[in-house]
Amino acid sequence: MQGLISQMLEGTVTSLEIFFLTLIFSLPLGFVVAKGRMTRIAPIRWIVDLYIQVMRGTPLILQLIFVYFAPFYIFGASYDRFTACIIAFVINYSAYFSEIYRSGLQSIDRGQYEASKVLGFTKAYTFFHIILPQVIKRILPALGNEVITLVKDTALAQTIGVAELFRVAQTASSREFSTLPIFIAGVFYFIMNYIVSRLFVVMEKKLNYYR
Amino acid sequence: MEEMIKLTGLKKAFGGVEILKNISFTLPKGNVLSIIGPSGSGKSTTLRIITQLEKADDGNLEIAGHTLFSSVDGKAVYCNPEEERQIGLKTGLVFQSFNLFPHFSVLRNITEAQKAVLHRSREEAEEKAMALLTKMGIAEKAKQYPYQLSGGQQQRVSIARALALDPEVLFFDEPTSALDPELTREILKVIRELAEEKMTMVVVTHEMHFARAISDWAIFMNKGVIVEEGNPDRLFGNPQEERTRQFIASFQD
Ligand SMILES: Nc1ncnc2c1ncn2[C@@H]1O[C@H](COP(=O)(O)OP(=O)(O)OP(=O)(O)O)[C@@H](O)[C@H]1O
Ligand SMILES: [Mg+2]
Repeated sequence: MQGLISQMLEGTVTSLEIFFLTLIFSLPLGFVVAKGRMTRIAPIRWIVDLYIQVMRGTPLILQLIFVYFAPFYIFGASYDRFTACIIAFVINYSAYFSEIYRSGLQSIDRGQYEASKVLGFTKAYTFFHIILPQVIKRILPALGNEVITLVKDTALAQTIGVAELFRVAQTASSREFSTLPIFIAGVFYFIMNYIVSRLFVVMEKKLNYYR
Repeated sequence: MEEMIKLTGLKKAFGGVEILKNISFTLPKGNVLSIIGPSGSGKSTTLRIITQLEKADDGNLEIAGHTLFSSVDGKAVYCNPEEERQIGLKTGLVFQSFNLFPHFSVLRNITEAQKAVLHRSREEAEEKAMALLTKMGIAEKAKQYPYQLSGGQQQRVSIARALALDPEVLFFDEPTSALDPELTREILKVIRELAEEKMTMVVVTHEMHFARAISDWAIFMNKGVIVEEGNPDRLFGNPQEERTRQFIASFQD
């Protein structure tokens, strides 16, 4: 029992690592992708659009396998599973976040940019102080959904052999002929998502002071 | 008299369609110019070029003695970006749709640019903002957010926001078109007071009586050209051109 608990804790830490590392990289990267998707330079726009379509149009599980195994089959080089897993998650989630950002950016009235320009704000100032806060307020619900999905998606990392919580639970389950480990894992995902959704509710409330 | 705006030969096309064909006017310091004309005649585009929201294709523009662009071989050549910015600070624009920042309080809407652009201290900016809000008769709204205000109050905030930067010339693009008659009167009163204080202004409006009453000069535009201009009593009372007469008549009910 002791061994099981400590194994599952280790798996939990790995799941949390996947979760946070994915967010840390893909939340800002999504903005870069969104900008690329909205650029006036057509070739960049096409490439970024294709990338987003591929990320949204193919299963994440397939992308994980591809990112991990493709370098091996193409260059004969293999690398760390965990790194591959983070790369796959980040490129996948950046695409999803970028579409949320894009819809948020496009929902901002042109008048906000024009008023900023006429008042003499620089482009950077306008983006960070005028546009971004309003975008964040508008996209928060969609962002919340995506982050909740990410918590559950971390379980997919097992397909390339990353020992995250779900894999640990599955292995323990078949070893001990018990569904208890699976159940414990379920409780973890549930608690994790409960915290995430509460956090988003709090943030939405905080931004409720204006319309 | 000192010229605040000297615009000559302004041309602008969108997608190959000439929107402004040859716009010229001068505006002496302390004067009010009103621009009237039917929808699509290019009034907004003219203001947007002077306030640098759009680029001119050709022409010359001097604001308070500084050249924003001048015509070279049939093309408008702009001064350098820093000069553009400096000239931009001399002009203010009040929009039809207010365009207040919804996430800022009324007070912060007025202090933000003072602090970020003019580098005024917070105290100085707030003092200025409160003085302007008092003048607009909405000092008690300082802590509220734009959505809590009526359209007329929002427009007064946006006028205060523009005035806070001490522009040398203020442009209004149909400042009352989004307002009902009662709120319209509120805003017209504010603009009238500014005119009495000798604020240099250009007002695009469909309020004919108001335009006639406050302006020193009036321009009638149609299809990208100035059809007729003159002192307001003459332009509104005794227009010479048939098109002007028709347009003004359409507002008499
Ligand atoms: N960014 C743009 N791209 C293409 N066409 C434009 C653009 N801005 C304005 N136009 C066109 O230029 C013409 C003049 O527009 P403008 O807004 O200056 O007219 P206006 O006199 O202000 O009319 P209104 O009384 O309706 O405000 C219109 O036909 C308009 O469709
Ligand atoms: Mg207009």
